[in-house]
Amino acid sequence: MSDRQAKIRELAAAALAEDRVDYFIGWKQGINPSEAIPAFVRSADEVDQLIWNPLSHHNLTTFLKRKMPDPPNARIGVCVKGCDSRTLVALLQEELVDKERIYVVGVPCDGVIDRRRVEKEFADEVVDISFSGDVVTATTRCGDSKEFAKGDMTFDHCNTCRYPNPVYADDMAADPVPEPEDRTPMWGSIEEFEALSPAEKDAKLADAFETCIRCFACIHACPVCVCWDQCVNRCRRPALVGQRVDTKENLMFQMVHMFHVAGRCPSCGACDRACPVEIPLYLLHRKMNKELYDMLGFEPGVSLEEKPAFQTFKLDDPFGEH
Amino acid sequence: MKFLAQDKLQAFLGHLAGESRVVAPVKGDDGVVLFRPWSPGTEVELDVLLPKQSAKEFVLRQSETYLRYGYAMEGEAAAQVDDSHEAKVVLDDPAERKAAQDTAVTAHAALVVEPVNDAPAQVIFGLRPCDARGFVQMDNVFGGYGGFYFDPYYNAKREATTLVAVTCRDPRSTCFCTSVQGGPASTEGADVLFTQVEGGFAVEALTDKGETLLASAEFVDAAQAQVLYAETVKETAEARVDAAFDLEGIQEHLRANIEDPGWHDLAMRCISCGTCTYVCPNCYCFNITDEMVEGRGERIRTWDNCFNPSYTLETSGHNPRDTKSNRFRNRFSHKFWYYPEKYDSLLCSGCGRCITHCPTRIDIREVLSVMGSERTAVPATTGEEA
Repeated sequence: MSDRQAKIRELAAAALAEDRVDYFIGWKQGINPSEAIPAFVRSADEVDQLIWNPLSHHNLTTFLKRKMPDPPNARIGVCVKGCDSRTLVALLQEELVDKERIYVVGVPCDGVIDRRRVEKEFADEVVDISFSGDVVTATTRCGDSKEFAKGDMTFDHCNTCRYPNPVYADDMAADPVPEPEDRTPMWGSIEEFEALSPAEKDAKLADAFETCIRCFACIHACPVCVCWDQCVNRCRRPALVGQRVDTKENLMFQMVHMFHVAGRCPSCGACDRACPVEIPLYLLHRKMNKELYDMLGFEPGVSLEEKPAFQTFKLDDPFGEH
Repeated sequence: MKFLAQDKLQAFLGHLAGESRVVAPVKGDDGVVLFRPWSPGTEVELDVLLPKQSAKEFVLRQSETYLRYGYAMEGEAAAQVDDSHEAKVVLDDPAERKAAQDTAVTAHAALVVEPVNDAPAQVIFGLRPCDARGFVQMDNVFGGYGGFYFDPYYNAKREATTLVAVTCRDPRSTCFCTSVQGGPASTEGADVLFTQVEGGFAVEALTDKGETLLASAEFVDAAQAQVLYAETVKETAEARVDAAFDLEGIQEHLRANIEDPGWHDLAMRCISCGTCTYVCPNCYCFNITDEMVEGRGERIRTWDNCFNPSYTLETSGHNPRDTKSNRFRNRFSHKFWYYPEKYDSLLCSGCGRCITHCPTRIDIREVLSVMGSERTAVPATTGEEA
């Protein structure tokens, strides 16, 4: 693990020292060692703040999308995990990011910790999370400490991940980690959802979206939501999505997002992790991914040469029947 | 000072619920604690210090209906205006609908407008002193301070609301109430203050409204030991909140640093969402829209926020805060510079939710430590504003 951290620092320092990038985006420790946050490094002598550990959940590709770079024409170095690289590939497929302006460091990933799941094991504030092999130790402000098996605390989408190694990178921070032999997607709880009756589905969705506060963290954190600052969900001419905050309108807003990023979104879960009220948003996107896979055999962002599902048309594409 | 035994809490809330709506921190099935309407038998969650959202929503509603409107044909009563939550599509067949609309227009149908201002009595139980102070700071804006606008919607709800605060026992590392003129046992804004002591709560009424609440039979006079215990809880909590930044000269520094290039660095990891403002007990910006379906609709007020890229979009198409760092700067400047200038108070009560809920953990304490002090940097040359 620390090898990858050392290599990230080395590659970042070289890119900055050789003036190949204006700034380099990686991860650093947050307020305390229980969390990692995005780091923006501007010079080679600042690379020691960069870290890599199972808390490095942020999909940093978000900071490459339209109107995020500062200045707008910045040359940027960025670290990507497997899922992050798929969102980057999706952006590159549609030329939504200029390949010439980015330098990509790929980081093989062993799964990322769902910090909120750890948090719920305590009433007190978690201030430290450390790792030793497959054991995760969490400590609170009052000094309570508990150990967990890492596999119990990783995100759902990590447990079903089939692309732990970046599918696109200029340089790699380590040799690839072992990949699953069978790459057939696993859809987890989606199949349970599909088995429900329409009324049960309605109830489940209503329950999930009732608490949405329409803060838009999901779409802003989403690396492939590129019209984020010109969003139809806020637009009043035409007024396609109501501004009232209630279950129905909230769901409508999320459905718009789901359809709009379909074919680009590999359900990396960035939306989900950004949500302040913990709505399991990635399930919507995973459902869409399942539809795309079942109908077209398409997986978003796995190959630079491929065109996204909704950017191509073939006469033998199935229409609704499959 | 009164005492309420732990096992009497449900009975007390039950009494309140008989007369008004009770709102309290409740843990959902997903483990998320939020202020939710309380019903008898529901457990009140006080071990988790702060619910994910502040209690602001129950006074400054996230969606507030100002009025309902619609067209009524001659002879029809105003009752035709739909009073359900949403405007209904009256006719299913598009052709019929079109015909009905055409008739309405040719017959010069009367516009029926029905003002709405629902403000049922409610008690918000279990909010922390920082959340209670948040209301005081919003009162300045909506309450007609110094002859400014008096908002009937906010004030009707504020008037109908009783705030029962609970002293913080274990402040979080992100709490900074003591740096913004508050504290874990601050009484400002609250009607009653509960302090958790052995076996229950030491309770003090702070206003007449609060006094009425304590008339309930569940309360007994607090013993001297309980009073002393409560004092210790308050002092211990106070000592646990770290000093975060210095308020001295902060307005002047923020004004002087408005073009400082440091804003760009601080805003780099901001994704320009509105989470910090929506979980904030003090942020009050809103938008007004007409939500209309088939000629009937509602005029509503919904929360808006200064990170929203269209927040300052002008009719001409010009947007004075078109970049992320410009929008970022506004939130801190508003809270610690323009608002204090106008109302002689801060627009922050130090709950720290903006830190813990920020998707990238932007820390208001860090921002204010840097930009709220004297900077020696040269003026911006890399300005996006250029």
